[in-house]
Amino acid sequence: MRIRVNGSTRHVDLPADTPTLWALRDGLGVLGPKYGCGVGACGACTSLLDGAPFRPCTTPVGDVGRREITTVEGLSPDGSHPVQRAWAELDVPQCGYCQAGQMMSAAALLRHTPDPTDADIDAALRDNVCRCGTYPRIRAAVHRAAQLRREGGDR
Amino acid sequence: MTASMNRRVFLSATGGAALVLAVVPEAAADARTGTAAPGASGTGGEFAPNAFVRVERDGRVEVTVPRTDIGQGVRTSLAMLVAEELAVPFAAVRVRTAEADPRYGGQMTAGSTSVRFLFTPLRRAGATGRVLLVRAAALRWGVPDAECRAVDGRVVHPRSGMLPYGRLLADAAALDPATVPVTLVPRDEWKIIGRRRRRVDNADVVTGRARYGMDVARPDGLVAVVARPPLIGASAEQVDAAAALAVPDVVAVERLPSGVAVLARHTAAALRGRERLAVTWAGGDPTASSADWLDELAEAVPAAPEAPPGTPFSASFRMPMLAHACMEPINATAHVTDDAVHVWVPTQFPEGVQQQAAELTGIDVSRVRVEIPLGGGGFGRRSETDVTEEAIRLSALARRPVKVMWSRDDDTRHGSMRPASAHTLHAVLDERGMPVWRHHAFATWPLTVAPFFGRPELIVQNGDRFRYAVPGTVTARVLPAPLRTGFWRSVYAGQVVVAEEMFLTALAVRGGLDQVALRRDLLAGEPRLLACLEAAASAFGWGATLPAGHGAGVACLDDYGSAVAVVAEVDCSGERPRAVRVVVAVDVGVVVNPSGLEAQVQGGVADAVSTVLGAQITVRQGAVVQSSFRDYAWLRIDRAPRVEVVLVPSSAEPGGAGELSYPPSAAALAGAVHAATGRLPAGLPVVGEIG
Repeated sequence: MRIRVNGSTRHVDLPADTPTLWALRDGLGVLGPKYGCGVGACGACTSLLDGAPFRPCTTPVGDVGRREITTVEGLSPDGSHPVQRAWAELDVPQCGYCQAGQMMSAAALLRHTPDPTDADIDAALRDNVCRCGTYPRIRAAVHRAAQLRREGGDR
Repeated sequence: MTASMNRRVFLSATGGAALVLAVVPEAAADARTGTAAPGASGTGGEFAPNAFVRVERDGRVEVTVPRTDIGQGVRTSLAMLVAEELAVPFAAVRVRTAEADPRYGGQMTAGSTSVRFLFTPLRRAGATGRVLLVRAAALRWGVPDAECRAVDGRVVHPRSGMLPYGRLLADAAALDPATVPVTLVPRDEWKIIGRRRRRVDNADVVTGRARYGMDVARPDGLVAVVARPPLIGASAEQVDAAAALAVPDVVAVERLPSGVAVLARHTAAALRGRERLAVTWAGGDPTASSADWLDELAEAVPAAPEAPPGTPFSASFRMPMLAHACMEPINATAHVTDDAVHVWVPTQFPEGVQQQAAELTGIDVSRVRVEIPLGGGGFGRRSETDVTEEAIRLSALARRPVKVMWSRDDDTRHGSMRPASAHTLHAVLDERGMPVWRHHAFATWPLTVAPFFGRPELIVQNGDRFRYAVPGTVTARVLPAPLRTGFWRSVYAGQVVVAEEMFLTALAVRGGLDQVALRRDLLAGEPRLLACLEAAASAFGWGATLPAGHGAGVACLDDYGSAVAVVAEVDCSGERPRAVRVVVAVDVGVVVNPSGLEAQVQGGVADAVSTVLGAQITVRQGAVVQSSFRDYAWLRIDRAPRVEVVLVPSSAEPGGAGELSYPPSAAALAGAVHAATGRLPAGLPVVGEIG
């Protein structure tokens, strides 16, 4: 079957009931979305489906249809997306494993809430676990990304 | 064994499963890692004065870091040490994680030792390169070394000019390092050490390019998942693999000591195959329960010796089991061929994996490569070699590369647990309510992954860090562990120190004493701890009135060559206690990377909030109840407190940071709940039933 990932149409040679996470990772070598739980409980694989956050680990690839999947690689390849810039600038990652999911939740939040409050951030990111405890920096980085986004035009 | 030697113990694997302890004297590690001789080379247009430093013709520098980055930032902090002494801009440095290799000395990442143990050896490694490059330039110019200076990857001389390192490589490589004395850059000239530095891996993490163990994919490789016994201690009796083998892309089903493995061409097939396996399990105890285990531990707490006269006071606490729950589930990839083994694993114990592979396959250790990708968290769990045993065995059977992936369910239920414990603390109080005598009795389990940690005196030494001026003793009893137990961030300090600090807070609450003043009085002989306590109390604004329903707690710790004090505020006015604010004052001696230190402290606080306000592992009907972050209630951003980190200036040698903030933060949070509610917590977590 064909799916759209980060602006390209890709052919996946796996059964339709394969979780999208494994279609991306094993089928297409898109390794940014991480396996953390497989049951939608940790958010490490969070990516966007037509701009809205979704959990590839619990979404069969056959259900994606023609919708556009955006993974962390799709934010920008060079780290220039405001969320990527803010995350690097504020030195958010510790182990880094959950951060792709955190960033995708943040990117989705900023698309419809360009100037989020702490409460907005908590609501949008509460389903993304960070086992290292980077939450204080994540919160600061979302605010910083919002600022970069306003300065640099919409992304 | 002295306390400092205790911190230097590390594990070495034998037979892949049994673990014995060895002791690495610091001096030996220094001798092996700090000198120029091992691995020196200068051929091929580069200069590699030792195993850690390689200068290339274009002036770029490769630094090899002999520790595993599992989130603590050692790929950054350790490279900073080398770059400082080599006198190169940090931007010119490319960081490589060392493969397992005796040239690097002990490579175990544990005990908050990376910066502590490598501070001098890695600076010497960089300085060795610098003095040789300076000598090479001085010889070329015909001037004394002392008139030359190394700056930003160049050697400069007032009259002779400047030579970039790239033009001195062959000359420097031809020198005998023994003839050039190594000097270290004085502290007041440091340009890199002590300045905030972002992680070297940030650019890769934010673009999805960072590669973890889970991302390893080998040509013709298979993915394996293992069906593990539902009951603790059970094993597979009969296996019907037909339905599993009927799943497309499932290649094989193999029995392992740990369970039944399904090997497939991709992960989804392996997981589907595991669902279809029909296994008959035998053994285990379907009546086993962690509530009973905690009762047994409480009954086993040793009696206190006879107390001196005075007002007696005592309190008891129970501490639960904890799972590591690394964000990246446990995994390893191995490729066993006829005469070589190649392993890719984010292990905290590279040399253990190397030795294990040699022992399991009969292939000489020199033919075993262990490559270390990034690790998505460790917390002690990745010092174990269970998953590499599975991968090596399966690859040997399949004759192909095999990646073993633990599912989150495996990870939560079947990893090693932090031991549960039960504590009873006694004190005798004077007329002001101050303790003049104490006794701490506890019962716990050994670390089954390190049998050495079954000796009560070692457990006491590891866990008891009591520095207050109250005479007394600690007595431990060790019961057999009913399941696998292992190293968990802060190890036994996570139970013992927390109980001791909760007890001090209980004394204060009982007697209407100020928690800070009580500790201040008892820490007169501990200037580092006292300075941290004053700094934390001052930054918190100790003494100001808190909102209704709020409480504040205090705790201190002297460990890992560092000192720390924590003041935490918890809001108990709602349905569930909520951590509001945590102030942590740390003295870790010389700080290498303030940003990394702050992150480690914040991480320990997050673990503390998690385990004080909800997360624990329980066992019912013979099996672990929790299976993922859905029911192992780890902290989420919406319950994350404000964390303020105060650095107490210090010129002491670097201390450890990775495990430092967990015990006092947990105790301070529990103490805050006690202060807010007036109810003595029964242990951790302070909400719900323990065990």
